[in-house]
Amino acid sequence: MTAMFRYRAPRRRDELLELLAEYGERARVLAGGTDLLGDVRSGLARPAAVVDVKLVPGFGELAWSAAEGLVIRPGVTIDDVLRDERARSSYPLLAACAQDLASHQIRNRATVVGNVVNASPCADMAPALLCLGARAVISSQDSRREVPFTEFFTGAKRTVLRAGELLEEIVVPAQSAGARGSYRKLKRIKGHDLGIVGVAAMAKDGELRLGISSCAPTPLLVDGLTTRDPVDEVVAVARAAISPISDVRCTKEYRTHMVGVYVRRAMEEVA
Amino acid sequence: MSELTVVGADVPRVEAVEKLTGDALYTGDLLLPGLLHAKVKASPHARARILRIDTSRAEALPGVHAVLTGHELDHKLGLYVVDKDILAKDVVRHFGEAVAAVAAESVETASAAVELIEVEYEVLSPVLDPMEAIGDDAPLVHPDLGSYAYVEAAFSPQPGTNVAHVQRVRKGDLDRGFAEAEWVVEREYTNPSVQHVPLETHVAVVQWKAGDQVTIWTSAQSPFTVRNLFCTAMRLPLNQVRVVVPHVGGGFGGKAGIHLEPLVACLSRKAGGRPVRLQATREEEFSLLPCRSALTYRIKTGVRADGTITAQQMTMYWDAGAYADYAVNVTRASAYSASGPYEIPNAWVDAYTIYTNKPYGTAYRGFGHVEFFWGLERHMELVAHAIGMDPLEFRRRNLLKPGSRTMTGELITEHTGDPRACLDAVAAAIGYGGLTDEEREHERRTGRRVGKGVATLHKAPAMPSFTATAAVVKMSSDATVVVNVALMEIGQGCNTALAQIVAERLRFPIDRVKVAIERDTDKDPYDWQTVASKGLILSGNACLLACDDLLRQAYDVAAQVLRANVADLDHDADRVFVAHRPQESVTFAELSIGYAFPNGNGIGGPLIGVGRYIAQGLTNLDKETGQGLPALDWTYGAHGVVVDVDPDTGEFDVLAISSAYDVGRVVNPGLVRGQAIGGMVQGLGTALCEGYIYDQQGRLLNPSFTDNKIPTARDLPARLDIAVVETAQLDGPYGARGVGEHPMISVAPAIGNAIQQATGAELLHMPMRFEDVWRALRSHEPIDNWITETPAGSCRSDLPGGAGQPSPRK
Repeated sequence: MTAMFRYRAPRRRDELLELLAEYGERARVLAGGTDLLGDVRSGLARPAAVVDVKLVPGFGELAWSAAEGLVIRPGVTIDDVLRDERARSSYPLLAACAQDLASHQIRNRATVVGNVVNASPCADMAPALLCLGARAVISSQDSRREVPFTEFFTGAKRTVLRAGELLEEIVVPAQSAGARGSYRKLKRIKGHDLGIVGVAAMAKDGELRLGISSCAPTPLLVDGLTTRDPVDEVVAVARAAISPISDVRCTKEYRTHMVGVYVRRAMEEVA
Repeated sequence: MSELTVVGADVPRVEAVEKLTGDALYTGDLLLPGLLHAKVKASPHARARILRIDTSRAEALPGVHAVLTGHELDHKLGLYVVDKDILAKDVVRHFGEAVAAVAAESVETASAAVELIEVEYEVLSPVLDPMEAIGDDAPLVHPDLGSYAYVEAAFSPQPGTNVAHVQRVRKGDLDRGFAEAEWVVEREYTNPSVQHVPLETHVAVVQWKAGDQVTIWTSAQSPFTVRNLFCTAMRLPLNQVRVVVPHVGGGFGGKAGIHLEPLVACLSRKAGGRPVRLQATREEEFSLLPCRSALTYRIKTGVRADGTITAQQMTMYWDAGAYADYAVNVTRASAYSASGPYEIPNAWVDAYTIYTNKPYGTAYRGFGHVEFFWGLERHMELVAHAIGMDPLEFRRRNLLKPGSRTMTGELITEHTGDPRACLDAVAAAIGYGGLTDEEREHERRTGRRVGKGVATLHKAPAMPSFTATAAVVKMSSDATVVVNVALMEIGQGCNTALAQIVAERLRFPIDRVKVAIERDTDKDPYDWQTVASKGLILSGNACLLACDDLLRQAYDVAAQVLRANVADLDHDADRVFVAHRPQESVTFAELSIGYAFPNGNGIGGPLIGVGRYIAQGLTNLDKETGQGLPALDWTYGAHGVVVDVDPDTGEFDVLAISSAYDVGRVVNPGLVRGQAIGGMVQGLGTALCEGYIYDQQGRLLNPSFTDNKIPTARDLPARLDIAVVETAQLDGPYGARGVGEHPMISVAPAIGNAIQQATGAELLHMPMRFEDVWRALRSHEPIDNWITETPAGSCRSDLPGGAGQPSPRK
């Protein structure tokens, strides 16, 4: 597939938002490009304009403050997170999910924002962000709103983002810092693969949260649990929350089984 | 044999620097003045009638120079059964089949033009399951099968059916053999199609010049076969077509035959002789280009309680896909090898090549043996379990040994090779039969179960009985030589190995021998194909004969110069001399392009040695009984595997693979190591994760690396051992035999056997995905295809008479 589109790389935030407003549905944002370029090549995406966010000053920054927590901006790559000592030590679950995403080459290019905006059911960063209580800060030319990640995904490959909007920041709250975390991802090979089942578990102060990917149209959060809950009950709650399908990767039966095994093991690890 | 100095040495690959620095040029690097770029319009349907193709909008697009459809082309292609059009005509027979093509000034324009071509189809219900395809009321993939030309000496298409070939092998008396058995075990084993995945996708650049002079640059394994099949299809004399092949980025059999070249040639012809380039995308590799055939292999074995096999009935259903291509020969080669390196006194093989509406099968490293050894060596394991015997001991008892006869009647001698030594070597290497303290500790620490399994293998080159090749060794004035062969260097290392053989024979240091990289049918001597692990023996022997020829020429001139009898001459790296008066000598440099006496008189001429070699003593197989001599040589081998398995999830890791091959003579240990590691890892991919998945309409659902995974560097087992056995091949160069395909064979069953040993899971289908192991552990029905949840293509469990449970006869 060959595609013609206008490529723009604005150097100012307001110019970027203006372009997104101008092109609306016909614009696609380019960060790492690891999802977008594949979609353009296969014809899934036929944008009129591709707007690169990487030249906007500050968009590549990963910021931390004791008050707000970790702020991930649109140009921050998966490797940036893994290289950041504070992100790694404060949010071990974030690092665990990042570590399991694709391959070295992809992690060096792909961004955290891009991973969630792509909204694949198997997005590796989503289970961590869901468990950690992260918020999406969404900007457009004339608005700015915050959406918790529990409300961010609206379906397979669909999010709350509207035409002209940019996911400008992901805020991982300071309250989640120091939580124990574990991520288990079922893959077909040890190398680069999409998750067939992903289970993240986070424990803090007796509270237990599970982030599950590839088992429903969207990554999902199971909360309201405690680390003292009987394991079988937690597994039952997790299984009730998912709605897996059979596809070329495995059957829903196996997904259901593996969620149970991974929840059990992840709980042992974080409790 | 005298001491060898170059053969056996760990000589670095001669083309390594060129490849590692990026200097090496491949077909895709070629830029010609006026080059056009081609794109293909592929069918989205598995079976459909083409009602109308409208190319007018594509033709009107500026920059488009040629648009082709099937109706303009009257050229049938086929290696063994001539059944394929260059572009689909009237009907499409598989998902991804080419129905139209465009040549334009840029790839972008060609792509845009392809999108403008409108094709109206009447979609028909496809024939997907080979077992249904051989049923009475199945639609015919090739209603005109009876009118196709085919190689009659070897193949038997069945007009009016979907059977492209039947191969039969009969030895002994099957009924008597089963009557002598105390146990009979019958099972069925399956595997899907897989893709070769060469790093370099198929690419061809063709210029059809005035006067029907055609030059083809292509990423092919077999330049002379491309020329031959091309000229047959185009009805051109062979000397009007030149095929040039520079470096090739991997073939694995997928580039053995003819592929994109005829289409690109026809586009060039239609574009008025401008050169045209077409390189397949990765996705096109999966369905426009061919794959490896799927197999359903049913084996029924009669065995005595002491473990002696008395009879074996083997039935192979090869899913050729839409065209016969190599699949008929895969069927033939697999049939005569079907029992593995075991002695079967009463044997019966029926092997069918079956047309279906799927991308078609071609040669793939192992040529059927990876597929049928999956079934055979799983079966040997299950037979051993059924009679309560250790599987290793059971194998040892039935192995071929000197005095045994193969199924086609070939006598095994002490020189044929030593399968027992290979099997024992891998069993010892993995510590077969128990766990070490460390392995027990690993089980305790991880909760996983460790298991060990072995599997044997063998393979002979699958080739015409009269397969021939030639080599030319040309000396330059500084006494260096250039060797020309048409055997392709496709990564297997033949340029290095042949250079070693030439250096050894000439007694030259290796750096004075160069094997030319680019192959050119106008300039190089004939070679049949670069396939079948036959290059080392055939081209190696041709090189030895070429060296002898060159030395004879040098000695003849030296005898005159030195006024000596040829019989009294000897030579070293630099000179030919009189054996009993070594100071009387003449240098190779002086002889190389003709000797000049001090007075100016010249004698001799350029030293050019020619060696011709042809497989000797091989015969066609009797069509009813399969009796005859098909095998140039047999390379035996074995794999041993250690796995750990998570009994809760079916997840497993391959911790170690040990290998041993009877290579006759190691020409280059580094090359053997390279073949062994590459083969084992490719075998791992086929065992664990590769395979085509179709939906009910025959559309391929995983034509990319998203859902057709192949092993990565991280998937290499921590331990890969390589051992060699050297039982000299009497007619091999310095005793060597081929080992190109063998390391890939029987990795999968060794893994399956190890998983069974660890957990009891009885796996009958490969790839062995984690879910398959999990299902087997819970006695769930195996499901080959999670989309259709039907056994389309493989994984049937409806065996008549008790679903494959072993049954005592007495």
